Amino acid sequence: MSRSAKKGPFVDEKLYKKVSKLNENRAKQPIKTWARACTIIPEFVGHTFEVHNGNKFLRVFVQEDMVGHKLGEFSPTRQFRGHSGRKAAEAAAAGAAPATK
Amino acid sequence: MPRISGVDIPADKPIRISLRYIYGIGPTNADQILKELNIDGQRRAKELSEEDLARIIGIIDRSFLVEGALRRNIQQNVARLRDIGSWRGNRHRRSLPVRGQRTRSNARTRKGPRKTVAGKKGVKELGK
Repeated sequence: MSRSAKKGPFVDEKLYKKVSKLNENRAKQPIKTWARACTIIPEFVGHTFEVHNGNKFLRVFVQEDMVGHKLGEFSPTRQFRGHSGRKAAEAAAAGAAPATK
Repeated sequence: MPRISGVDIPADKPIRISLRYIYGIGPTNADQILKELNIDGQRRAKELSEEDLARIIGIIDRSFLVEGALRRNIQQNVARLRDIGSWRGNRHRRSLPVRGQRTRSNARTRKGPRKTVAGKKGVKELGK
C-alpha cells in the first residue's frame, strides 16, 4: 500500500536543512547521508549525495527524473557475484593458479 | 469483422468479450465503455450498427491508451527506471522480479524456463 497523500512525501529533515543551506549559498558539495528512506524532492536536483548502503557511501547524482524516488533506490545494498558451480569453480581456480592441469 | 483501434478485428463474440481483444482493454474497461454508451454487452459485434461501432471507436480513441501507444508508454516507463539507475531499473535489466518477490524458488515468469545446472545437488536423481 502506498503512503497516505495527506502526510506528503517523507523527507529527512536534517538532510533537507543541509540541502537548503547549500541552495542558499549556491554551493554544491556531496552530502553524506544514511537517510535512504528520504524521498527525493525537486530541491535535491543537481546535488550529489553519498548514500550509505550498509557498507560504504555510494555517490548518487540526482537528476530530474529521480524526483519522487527514494535515495536508497540508487544505492544497492547487495552485490551479486555470480553463482557457484563448475564454471565458477574453474574460473576461481584459473584465477588463483593459472598453471593447473 | 469490425476494426477498432488499428489492427484489432474482434469477431462474432459478444461485444463485451470481443473488445478485450484490444491490448489495453480488459473486462473492466470493456464493460465500462459499453455502460457509458448504453450498448448491451451481450450483443454480438456483427449485430452492432455502424453508428454504435463508431461511438465505441470514438470513446476508445478519446480516453483510452491502447495497442502501440500503450506499449510505447510502458516501454518508456521502464526505460526511465533504467536510465536513472534505480533498483527497479536494475531488476528490469536483469529480468528479475521487480516488486520484491522471492527468487529462491518460483519467479519463472521473469526468469524464463529453468536452466538446470549440472553437478548441483539433486540433479542426478532427476536423470540426465
